[in-house]
Amino acid sequence: MLTRRRRLFLLPALVVVGVAVVGLLSPGAVARTAASTGTGATNALDPPNPITYVKLPKSYIAPGEQLFLSNCSSCHGPDASGTDNGPDLVGVGPATVDFWVGTGRMPLGNPAAQPVQKTPRLSNKKILEIAAFVGSLAPTAPGYPDGIPQIDLKGASLSTGFSLFVLNCAACHTITGSGDALADGFSAPTLHKATAVQAVEALRTGPANMPHFGPGQLNDQQVADIVAYVTGPIQHPNNAGGLGLGGIGPVAEGFIGLFIGVGGLMLVAFWIGDRT
Amino acid sequence: MTATPVAYPVARFDDPHMLPLAKNPRRTERVVGILLLIGVAGFASYGGVYWVGGQPQLEGIFLGVGLFGFGFGLSAWGKYLLPQGPFVEDRHPFASSEEDIEAMTSAVVDRGTMVVRRRGFLGGLLAAGSGIMGIVLVFPLLRSLGPTPGKTLETTNWKAGSHLVDAQGNRIHRADLEVGGIATVFPEGYTADNFSAYDQTILIRPVKYPFVTKPGREDWTPDEYVAYSKVCTHAGCPVDLYQEQLYQLLCPCHQSLFDVLKGAQPVFGPAPRPLPQLPLKIDEAGYLVASAGYDQPIGPGFWERS
Amino acid sequence: MSTTTPATQSSNGPSANGSRATKSKPVEGAVRWLDDRLGVAKGGRTMLDKIFPDHWSFLLGEIALYSFIILLATGVFLSLYFVPSSAIVVYHGSYVPLDGQKMSAAYESTVNLSFAVRSGLVIRQMHHWAADVFVGAIAVHMIRIFFTGAFRKPRELNWFIGVTLLTLAIVEGFLGYSLPDDLVSGTGIRIAYSIILSIPVVGSYLASFVFGGNFPGNGLIIPRFFILHVLIIPLVLLGLIGAHLGLLVKQKHTQFPGHGRTEKNVVGTPMYPTFILKTTGFLFMVAGVLWALGGLVQINPIWQFGPYTPTRISYAVQPDWYMGWLDGALRIMPSWEFTGFGHTIPFEVFLPAVLFPGLTFNLFYLWPFIESRVTGNRKSHNLLERPRDRPLHTAVGATGVAFYFMLFAASSTDVLANFTQISLNTVLWFFRFAVFVIPLIVGFVTWQICREMSGIQGVGKRKRAVVVTRSATGEYTTVTTPPRPGDGHKELDAEPVPAFIESEPEPVGAGEGPGVRRISRQD
Repeated sequence: MLTRRRRLFLLPALVVVGVAVVGLLSPGAVARTAASTGTGATNALDPPNPITYVKLPKSYIAPGEQLFLSNCSSCHGPDASGTDNGPDLVGVGPATVDFWVGTGRMPLGNPAAQPVQKTPRLSNKKILEIAAFVGSLAPTAPGYPDGIPQIDLKGASLSTGFSLFVLNCAACHTITGSGDALADGFSAPTLHKATAVQAVEALRTGPANMPHFGPGQLNDQQVADIVAYVTGPIQHPNNAGGLGLGGIGPVAEGFIGLFIGVGGLMLVAFWIGDRT
Repeated sequence: MTATPVAYPVARFDDPHMLPLAKNPRRTERVVGILLLIGVAGFASYGGVYWVGGQPQLEGIFLGVGLFGFGFGLSAWGKYLLPQGPFVEDRHPFASSEEDIEAMTSAVVDRGTMVVRRRGFLGGLLAAGSGIMGIVLVFPLLRSLGPTPGKTLETTNWKAGSHLVDAQGNRIHRADLEVGGIATVFPEGYTADNFSAYDQTILIRPVKYPFVTKPGREDWTPDEYVAYSKVCTHAGCPVDLYQEQLYQLLCPCHQSLFDVLKGAQPVFGPAPRPLPQLPLKIDEAGYLVASAGYDQPIGPGFWERS
Repeated sequence: MSTTTPATQSSNGPSANGSRATKSKPVEGAVRWLDDRLGVAKGGRTMLDKIFPDHWSFLLGEIALYSFIILLATGVFLSLYFVPSSAIVVYHGSYVPLDGQKMSAAYESTVNLSFAVRSGLVIRQMHHWAADVFVGAIAVHMIRIFFTGAFRKPRELNWFIGVTLLTLAIVEGFLGYSLPDDLVSGTGIRIAYSIILSIPVVGSYLASFVFGGNFPGNGLIIPRFFILHVLIIPLVLLGLIGAHLGLLVKQKHTQFPGHGRTEKNVVGTPMYPTFILKTTGFLFMVAGVLWALGGLVQINPIWQFGPYTPTRISYAVQPDWYMGWLDGALRIMPSWEFTGFGHTIPFEVFLPAVLFPGLTFNLFYLWPFIESRVTGNRKSHNLLERPRDRPLHTAVGATGVAFYFMLFAASSTDVLANFTQISLNTVLWFFRFAVFVIPLIVGFVTWQICREMSGIQGVGKRKRAVVVTRSATGEYTTVTTPPRPGDGHKELDAEPVPAFIESEPEPVGAGEGPGVRRISRQD
């Protein structure tokens, strides 16, 4: 009988079973974790992989092609092999497309402008359909994920994630994830709007000027740790001290200290003293 | 015996100097009272919040408002309820008379040399002693602080055959980095902080096609891997920011820009010299290895650097 | 209201005064006790009568003084918890993302102070806000002194002490925010090492001595910063502030020219009770603002930055505001390094970070002499000058302020580029030129404004409204409105501080209005 207590356990149990089933069925995940011998080394005694790459249903491909032709082909070509206005997308894999379109960076009206994060113009299902279409054009290039990542953050270590974040991400995105300007008009975006899936996709596909972190360098558990840190303390920082001032640091603090601190006290002095 | 009494002036009761500034002193007294009361309430509230465990924002607002209100009340009391004058005080010139200056000067000069006839010789010894003492007393203050730099600024722990490892000590294999990937690497056995400060090296796999960073470095970039010292040649910050599509390293501190495909040549910003490049090769097992150490001192400039 | 000429009665001896003064056994007892041992009654009375000119701009130094007192008080608290050691420990406190991580004991103690000590975070933040306000107040006070000419003879000594205080305050702030050994301040220490290194001939030796070897050194840099920050520099600061205030008492404060104010007097309010009450109130208000900032606005959240190691870095890292001018100079300096004769002089670091601040402070120190040379004015001055009356002097000062302000702005090139969406390269090139061009424009405009203002009658004086009425036949009449409360007050002639100020209310006699206190008592 499904008491309330048992029903509460049912959902996580289903998720675990579902993830396990999908994980076992996904060849990409199996191949990736076994192959590396470098920094991302894993062995059979490790806990189950927190990231699995879900292949999109084949039924998405046809509607995806229609969406692609009407939204993307003017810059990327009707067969996605690229034009002067947009790069070749053959072989980039569905995760790459899901990242770019899901964060609203694509479709991009002006090909010369730097793509920035916006509200996506298409619904989630439509985005996945386009992703399925592009993914179907050719086998995904090695080093790019072969499906849409599903991530389980339960076993992630915030502490390891923090260390990895500082070493790999803070130099561009800043230690508080607020983003900053790079050279030549580009910028490293803020991390405060990214979902966990988008963070995994960005790490694994290296969009635009972001370096490409493959499984040989960061294994899936390390990626999960980083993403847990991003969706946790980066997006919900511990601002025990009060107003966070946007996480920019001494620039904002200097403004407050000088205008409200010194300026405010100068106003008080103006009241206490005389005018000649 | 008591000092001579001084004549102090007395003011009349209706002297405008003695009147308070407030138009309605009774009302002002009430306002001051309220402000002081706000102060007391703020102090007490802070005490209460602290007693039950404390919370920074509540502590801040209670004691902050309390202190400010209390101070505001005190200042208002002083400004509006007390005599504002204006009162005057004379400045007494403090310069001494000519006789006194003459007396002081001659005392300094004459007394010190009264009995002494060989002033120059003794004076010279005095000066020399003081000077030398001053110099040698600086020695323990400065030299004892630490070692001389020796050759530490000019060498790192990278040698021919050093394996490239990550921060955990795992060796880097040729298959590890994707094209467009970066990693921070160290010579095997030297991952501790006191070495990593100058050993730290950034390993990049910028492009798919083979490239040569500078003439003479044809075999420094096997498998399209290139390694540069991560210590910025401007002021020493770790150059960790890689713009993948432009093949440029940007130093986060003062925004020096280095071209990765051209030997980390500085193309923008204050850095004066390219990042030294570490020559790489791949061993039989496929691991990345340094084929030699750095060919010049890493990091910012210094006098002895030739 | 008509002002009665005050008719003061001089008394002939202590007995005449004594019978009018308010008696208070406890106070008299205390005064006698001290006077029998120290002879302070007469000097004390003189101190109570000391006159303080009232202009609001004379209170800016007090903001700095009270911030310093708060820094001392909060600093004592912090020093009871901070561990000045670079020894590696493993964190197991309440902040989960740091759990299990290795860090220095200094960093761990600061995190614990922030999370595990009651009121610890507020006091730590209050200390940091007070440091920012301290240097800011010194800067604003120094600007006031400069523009009103208060540094002229006989006050050059006080100016030197002041410039030294500014330098020490900046250094003290740098040392203080570097103590927690977090990622952001640790990067600053790394840059400081490179700056010392850049000094020709002795740089590599000095850097190795100070740090105990090649960076990061032998672990002694944090303990050395600590003892400099809590003992050595505060002692020097205390001594210099004491001298600064002592000189002020000895030479008496300057004042603006005005009614009854001459080179030979000081006009204002007495120390006791008026000034003491107003200034104590100000102390509480400074404390209130700083405490409120300490609790409500986060500053330096080191737990978000993580501990410093030499391989870690973050983007958008700036030093605290008062070091920003040096960081800006480092950023905009072109990469001019001299290599030759077997040696290198890294001017790209040496010039903006060593030569330039050296020139700056030397210029500040020498300014009174430069000015007296240029103007040929070697007289003593106790009266201030309005900035508008000295257009060239004011313009030079405005140029200087604008120049340093541009350098501060240049320190935030990346944040500005991100905020305005302008390319970082463009922003940097803009600052390379703007840092010279904009101050010159500011100086020129200031000079013009001052020259025009000093030619206008009645500029800066309080205006009285003029009521214009038109009669039925079309004639205009103008009536100047009566002076407002406080206006006429200041046009009274100044008089010496009277014998006593009545504190008990007397019964109101016939003919006397409410609120008027009787001063003299019937015997």
